[in-house]
Amino acid sequence: MESRLLKPALAVYLGLFLLFLYGPMIVMAILSFQGPTGGPQFPIVEWSTYWYQHLFGQISGSRVSQLPVGESLIRSLVLAVMTTIVSTVLGVMAAQAFRTRFAGSGPIFYLFVLGMIVPGVLVGLGMALLSNMLGIDRAWWSTSFVLHVVYTFPFAFLVMLAIFNRFDRSVEEASLSLGVSPAETFRRVTFPMIFPGVLSAMLFSFTLSYDEFSRTLFTSGPRLTLPLSIYGTFSVEIYPNVFAFGVLTTVFSFTLLAIYGLLMMRSVARNNQQFKGQEA
Amino acid sequence: MDLANQSNGAAIDREGALSPARKRARRDEVQALKLAAPGILWMTLFMVLPMIMVVYVSFWTQTTFAIEPTLTVDSWVRFLTSPTYLDSIVTTLFIWIVVLASTLVIGYPVALLIGLMIRNVTLQTALLVVCIIPFWTSFLIRVIAWRPTLGTEGAINSILINLGLIDTPFTSLLFSELAVVIGMTQIYCVFMVGPITFMLARIDHSIIEAARDLGAGFGKIFLRIILPLSLPGVVVGAIFVSVMVLGEFATAAALSGRKVNMLGNIIVSQVGSLKWAFASVAGVILTIIIAIVITTLLRIVNIRKEM
Repeated sequence: MESRLLKPALAVYLGLFLLFLYGPMIVMAILSFQGPTGGPQFPIVEWSTYWYQHLFGQISGSRVSQLPVGESLIRSLVLAVMTTIVSTVLGVMAAQAFRTRFAGSGPIFYLFVLGMIVPGVLVGLGMALLSNMLGIDRAWWSTSFVLHVVYTFPFAFLVMLAIFNRFDRSVEEASLSLGVSPAETFRRVTFPMIFPGVLSAMLFSFTLSYDEFSRTLFTSGPRLTLPLSIYGTFSVEIYPNVFAFGVLTTVFSFTLLAIYGLLMMRSVARNNQQFKGQEA
Repeated sequence: MDLANQSNGAAIDREGALSPARKRARRDEVQALKLAAPGILWMTLFMVLPMIMVVYVSFWTQTTFAIEPTLTVDSWVRFLTSPTYLDSIVTTLFIWIVVLASTLVIGYPVALLIGLMIRNVTLQTALLVVCIIPFWTSFLIRVIAWRPTLGTEGAINSILINLGLIDTPFTSLLFSELAVVIGMTQIYCVFMVGPITFMLARIDHSIIEAARDLGAGFGKIFLRIILPLSLPGVVVGAIFVSVMVLGEFATAAALSGRKVNMLGNIIVSQVGSLKWAFASVAGVILTIIIAIVITTLLRIVNIRKEM
């Protein structure tokens, strides 16, 4: 009765909700094709890819200065790769540790999780103060990097913890009791089984670091990362080249997500095949 | 002396008589600590130490362009007696409460549909993914996308004028508190939808059937069964949203035209003018607020028990 009416109503509501989620991005995508004389608003003067060319520095003598994306993009990518490697390794190690209950595991769990809860602006401020006091120069590859790991490590840790919780210990024990060394067991038995989790942890770390901004703001020194140079353009008048950049970076994120999906599917398929082979 | 020797001897005895199983357990424990050590060290050096530093520096002496490690409560007194800064605390709490309420009110029905009403797992997952996808795009880009949407010549005004619903565009959509609330609600809603959906999906449908068979209407079923069972999800979502909104400054800066100044904005502007001690005071106050909010939320339900 009521639920028969409720369901369609909720379905319409979900449609509106998705419009709310995606609407601004769609508006931005449309406006990124604004003509050279148009501003960051409606109406569209003429359709063109002018602002995309502008982004790549192919327009000379424009009244709008080019977005400083080139070098900062490379910095952000390097930083994200560094962060991904370190936080995934730390995350796997820590989750492996939490498979045994050890003294102080409770407080240590909270210490780890705190990293994703503490506001970026606070740890950023603290790190800036600390490096000032110690006389260390702030830079994206040092002070920002350690904070990025503080932020992404808990995600990697929690993902791996969830994976290990559903993990069949007996396979490992079989390997160990057959005389295979613990290191070899990890490499040959444990790691292939937790690989999908490792992939997820890496995806989390990479995206979070690539987009991280509040932790970088006070700690990056004079050389900016990509989100910082984007934030810098907010304070002045914005032009459609910011929108063009937004569209491109969104496409980049989705490509990354698609690659992750493909790798994940392949890994699952391979595992299934392996088990089939064993049964035969 | 004698007693000490005795107990010492007993300890050695116990050590010697340790069963292989207990020996192995102890070795495992040491191994686990070794594995966790890099993480502990990293978090202590790069998170706990900076936080302590913020508290410490909030008591330093602030001169025009520098800070000196002479302890004083000057910055605290100045902060707590200035209407501008006290206002920022009020603004932070106001924005937080409004965004928390709006993410809950807007997100709950979505979670209800995805988690409870839809039984097809594939469709469930697909819809959840569609809700989560925007989270993977750049945060700053999502914030700035609201400008052409809400602006005087933006999408919403253009559509309303073309439909003939209004003659003159709304000018107060952008660069207002409303814009900040709308932007934050959109960005953080996912963090409310996710946990609630997770809890709703675990509800045993036979409980609801039983209630219906016993003559309960939807309202009663919702209030007595669905809402209580989803409460842990609401609390987890509320913690996510609260933590992120309270520490925010970028959305407020980009969408309010500097009219909305949260504690985060105060920290950023004070650091910009090298008033480190002052920024630290704002930081400590922010930390206290977040700690109070989280502990209060955790009082509502025992999450560890419910999960």
